[in-house]
Amino acid sequence: MLVYTAKRLLAFIPTVFAASVLVFLFVHLIPGDPAAVLLGDAATPEEVAALSSAMGFDKPLWVQYFRWLGNVLQGDFGTSIFFGEPVLSVIADGAETSILLATMTMIWIILIGVPIGVLSATRHGTWVDQITSSGAMLAASMPTFWLGLYLILIFSVGLGWFPSSGFPSLSDEGGIGNLRYLLLPSLTLAAPNAALIVRLVRASMLDVAREDHVRTARAKGLSPARVAIKHVFRNALIAVAAAFGFTFAALISEAVVTETVFSLPGIGRLVVQSILRRDYPVIQGVILVIVVLYMVINLLVDLAYARLDPRVSLK
Amino acid sequence: MSAVAFVRDTFAGRMLATLGLAWLCLIVVVALFAPLVAPFDASEIDPIKRLAEPGWPNLFGTDHFGRDTFSRAIYGARMTVAIGAGSVIVALACGGLIGMISAYFTRLGHSLMRGVDVLMAFPALLLALVLITLLERSVFNTILVIGVVYATTTARILYGMTLKLKGEVFVDAAICSGAGHMSILFRHILPNLISPLLVQASFIFAFAQLQAAALDFLGLGLPPEVPSWGNMLSEERIYVTRAPWLLIFPGVLIVISVFSMNLVGDALRDGIDPRFKDDIAGV
Repeated sequence: MLVYTAKRLLAFIPTVFAASVLVFLFVHLIPGDPAAVLLGDAATPEEVAALSSAMGFDKPLWVQYFRWLGNVLQGDFGTSIFFGEPVLSVIADGAETSILLATMTMIWIILIGVPIGVLSATRHGTWVDQITSSGAMLAASMPTFWLGLYLILIFSVGLGWFPSSGFPSLSDEGGIGNLRYLLLPSLTLAAPNAALIVRLVRASMLDVAREDHVRTARAKGLSPARVAIKHVFRNALIAVAAAFGFTFAALISEAVVTETVFSLPGIGRLVVQSILRRDYPVIQGVILVIVVLYMVINLLVDLAYARLDPRVSLK
Repeated sequence: MSAVAFVRDTFAGRMLATLGLAWLCLIVVVALFAPLVAPFDASEIDPIKRLAEPGWPNLFGTDHFGRDTFSRAIYGARMTVAIGAGSVIVALACGGLIGMISAYFTRLGHSLMRGVDVLMAFPALLLALVLITLLERSVFNTILVIGVVYATTTARILYGMTLKLKGEVFVDAAICSGAGHMSILFRHILPNLISPLLVQASFIFAFAQLQAAALDFLGLGLPPEVPSWGNMLSEERIYVTRAPWLLIFPGVLIVISVFSMNLVGDALRDGIDPRFKDDIAGV
């Protein structure tokens, strides 16, 4: 396990490094002087020249990279063209919404995906299995924004049960009740992901059910329900738990579309709006944050998986 | 096994998958003959009959410019086929080549696959958004971006499969009989990868539709004047309370097409070499 952890960390560091180089180069790939790109159209030539010398844009690229990396490590991601604020604080403003949305979505995915997956696997080959499997595939075939628009149309416009857009902070008036703003968005975002979990729970349970220890459990006379839960489901859960981790890591970027549909002030919508506003310092900062977060969560999930299933680290 | 027999064996007893295949064939035919099928010009503006309800002669109603939704949906089939086929070609050509070469020439491959790992460190939609920021909005660029995103997964899958095949006896036999590297890769290994590639292609085709629709919705996909199902949803969404049919038709068309492609991919996957089954992750 220790060797495996060390190996994974050794592979992880160069990948993060390379990804950060790509994010750094992003600003240089945009046509035009990088200083002018970072300051936006409203900047005067003097300001451009000042930033250019401050960032060392006349120096070789690798010098610029390490200067940029040094700033980033100290929490200086530059200044937003649109907001005129430090990029880090713009990102931090969206963090609450994004984290709460991802958490609520995860809860739905588990509550909806796991029971339906278990049902589908235990009724393998019957009409119940066919309907749940095809239903899951249908849910995964839906554009999330389309589903979101219809949820708004039915539950916000039609029935008036839930607000259709926005999200006031939990610390604002309304407190914890403000979570109702996230109900429709989290269901929208959960639908395709829960569908994938249904398919995965079903597939891993069917895999485990073919193993010898399950036959032994059946042979010694345990009830089918007990075999399904204690012997099949619990073993299948290892792969499923890992999938939860990977799904959670991907949710922050997948939320881009959902946050746009429901006008939520999260990090995903910030990405899209910054792209439309050509606010390059924010784009660069958000991408770096999301990518590093995504990689760290994936690494942790891999390590946890190896701990739960020792066979992984011995391969 | 002939192609007809293969299709028959794959789809025998799978009604949904067969219907899916039939739907996809219909989409391709409609896309090819769009000008003949469409009753109206897809971009003809007629303000007098804007937001007309579905009926005759506008089967799917009209949009806020008074354009015929049915005709736009027919032309949208062209974009569906173009985006799907284009992304598949880019992903399989780039990703497949990188994966196969990396597995075959191990030393070069090691660094190539590290590069693929770095790109895979970016979540799919985020990578697409980063690339699209650097490019103009056009049909070609949308295809390119989606193709590159799926080229990374394709490269990794093909890398694993080629590694498995490289150890097979028939490859040793080819080496002994004096076959060159290119001949081994493309005449001996590649033919064994055709059926898994076909499965991978069908899933990419399906995912590409959803990605393209999402990009259209965010205003970062196809140019707004291009009639695609994603653009139709994106443009008309503010009229949804007055004209709900404007979102129903293109949305349902996307769902049925993606669903069909997933069903076909699923059916094909069951028919491929069991060694490769676990390598391809579809829905």
